[in-house]
Amino acid sequence: MNPLLAGILALLGLTLVKATPLIYAALGGVLSERSGVVNIGLEGIMIAGAFTAVVVSGLTGSPLLGALAGVLAGAAIAAVLAFAATRLGVDQIVAGTGLNIATLAAAAFGLVLIYHQPGASREVPAFGHAGETALIVLAFVAAATLHVVLTRTPWGLHVRACGEDPSAAEAAGIDALRTRFSAVVVGGAIASLGGVYLSLAELDLYSDGMTAGRGFIALAAVIFGRWTPFGATGAALFFGFFAALQYSLQRAGVPSELMQALPYLAALVALAGFAGRVRAPAADGVPYVRQ
Amino acid sequence: MRRRFGAVQAVDGVDLELLPGEIHALVGENGAGKSTLAAIAYGAVRADEGSVDATGVVGLVHQHFKLIDRLRVWENVLLNREPKRGWTIDVPAARARVLELAAKYGLAVDPDAVVETLPVGIKQRVELLRELDREPAVLLLDEPTAALAPSEIASFFETVRGLAARGTAVLVVTHKLAEVIAYSQRVTVMRAGAVVARHLTGETNAAAIAREMVGGDVAALATRAETASKALLEVRGLSATSGTSALSGATFDVRAGEIVGIAGIEGNGQSALADALAGVVPFSGELRLAGVTLRPDDSPAARLARGIRVIPQDRRHEALILDWNVRDNVVLGRQRTLPRAGYEAAAREVIDRFDVRPPDPGAIVGMLSGGNQQKIVVGRLLAGDPKLVVAYQPTRGIDVGASALVQSRLIEARNAGAGVLLISFELDEIFACADRVLVIAGGAFVGSFDRAAIDRGRVGALMAGGQA
Repeated sequence: MNPLLAGILALLGLTLVKATPLIYAALGGVLSERSGVVNIGLEGIMIAGAFTAVVVSGLTGSPLLGALAGVLAGAAIAAVLAFAATRLGVDQIVAGTGLNIATLAAAAFGLVLIYHQPGASREVPAFGHAGETALIVLAFVAAATLHVVLTRTPWGLHVRACGEDPSAAEAAGIDALRTRFSAVVVGGAIASLGGVYLSLAELDLYSDGMTAGRGFIALAAVIFGRWTPFGATGAALFFGFFAALQYSLQRAGVPSELMQALPYLAALVALAGFAGRVRAPAADGVPYVRQ
Repeated sequence: MRRRFGAVQAVDGVDLELLPGEIHALVGENGAGKSTLAAIAYGAVRADEGSVDATGVVGLVHQHFKLIDRLRVWENVLLNREPKRGWTIDVPAARARVLELAAKYGLAVDPDAVVETLPVGIKQRVELLRELDREPAVLLLDEPTAALAPSEIASFFETVRGLAARGTAVLVVTHKLAEVIAYSQRVTVMRAGAVVARHLTGETNAAAIAREMVGGDVAALATRAETASKALLEVRGLSATSGTSALSGATFDVRAGEIVGIAGIEGNGQSALADALAGVVPFSGELRLAGVTLRPDDSPAARLARGIRVIPQDRRHEALILDWNVRDNVVLGRQRTLPRAGYEAAAREVIDRFDVRPPDPGAIVGMLSGGNQQKIVVGRLLAGDPKLVVAYQPTRGIDVGASALVQSRLIEARNAGAGVLLISFELDEIFACADRVLVIAGGAFVGSFDRAAIDRGRVGALMAGGQA
């Protein structure tokens, strides 16, 4: 095969690999924010998903059970954020940031507790190539499904109503707090698949810091994608492309430190040029307190 | 029916009966308890004492629309009552249902339009359709015409009459007495939480109702003094845009010691005019104040420093910080020029001059009634020695007593030598206050009348875009 063509194909393949965890996390963020809860905790949710999946896969020998446990763990972390954001009415940024720090530390502690070593777990049964491909395809299926749910189902309409004006939603008889809670938890379950993908599909272990700020890149993808499932998916592919490019250029001898910054720079530039021209859901990040 | 909020007995032993097919007006000053009564009847607020019996569903159209701006019309109308097909919304059925409702009640709307793109009159139709979809036996309308242009009010009440003719009991909560007289069959007057009078509308008149509302005679407007008339504001070929509002080539003068009324239907360039004078948007053309040319890129602060005070039309978003107390709102913008020890006195002065209730500088502004909020805005902007006062809808949505007070203070500012530009969609307000009337239509000035020569019919025709 023509080496240039082969290079391009490799780059595109790697783009999909690098974009997939971002897509899951960004979709979770979209769902959460459309309901009016800013989910800074995406990073922590991914960590919880990645770590729990590895532990359970190691215990049971089944990566599928591991993935399931990872999703439940992500949903549980999201439930904590959802509870704080809806029932306690706390600042969502503070709550999410706290969760990120707590999950990172808890996973580091868990490594020592379970594997008696800091830094990384041992290798566990993972999905392998076929499972990885399935998870990549599933990410796009999830985007399409979320689009339909948001635009074409009563629950999706109620989620959007709560993200725009929770008091008007309540006037129509919708329980805004419960709707937001469910959106954040389901969003957490979706986002945790990004973590599961990292630890059981791309690799077969958990290591400290393996999410590497992807939860925050995903937040950028939510904004860049105008809070829509397809938009966020496109933005995740865009950032995934720069992550893939980083590997290709490293091989070409460009200093790796510079290249590692590439996806983050891309996110920064995209947001700087874009942020002023998009509108978040009107009640995004605003705690709703009943009169 | 009784309901207390903190120390305020908002509704105090009220009985009210609505009959099928009637349009019943509930009038009273701000804070008289009429909105609370409507909210209790709807079920949004619990009564401390008393009960509500209705033969069917009760619907409520809020004064501040409860619409979700970025959702479509059908999504708003059928929110939480979506027609379903399996686990999805049956969108064609939803659209059809909205169109059917619209046709049934003569309220034409596009079911797919996004609400934020609609003019305010259409938004109200959407709000009304949402309530009508629930087939209410009783429909409560809270200040329904507060945001409507004069031309929209008549057609709105035609719809309401149609509803009543179908047997719906309609309660209109309002303080616009002309509408009470024109459209209601019965009227109930509230003051300080209690019913003070009940009439068949045909057996009373606006003046009598006004006296019952305020519990005495309505304060007369301040009398106008003879004033010198030297040119103060010179506007030459002023063009500006603000949002969807556009003004092109306006030329006029405002003299010191006169009130110039700008008559026009909402959306004909008034916002661009007010914002250009406030320094919120740039302009082209020439603006001179007392002979000094104003720069198109002046900041609002620079305009304030020159003695230009703009009373914006939306007090909640453009003038007040609702979470702050009265004192901090009164000194807002003057924190650097006023010594800290003077804040309290400045607040007291506004409270006394404008009869703000409660008379407490520490009261949170968001908790006050609209009329009292507006008094704080006007009080702040008339403090000191303003040269030019631009009053944009200064009495929008406030009661007769508060309106008379605000208008009197504007007249007093004029008597003291300020030039006043009064932009209003209420012709009565302009005729009551202005020395001269300019008519604005389509972003341009189309007519000018001196006080002695005002012809209501011609002004109305010019406003509507006709030839005089």
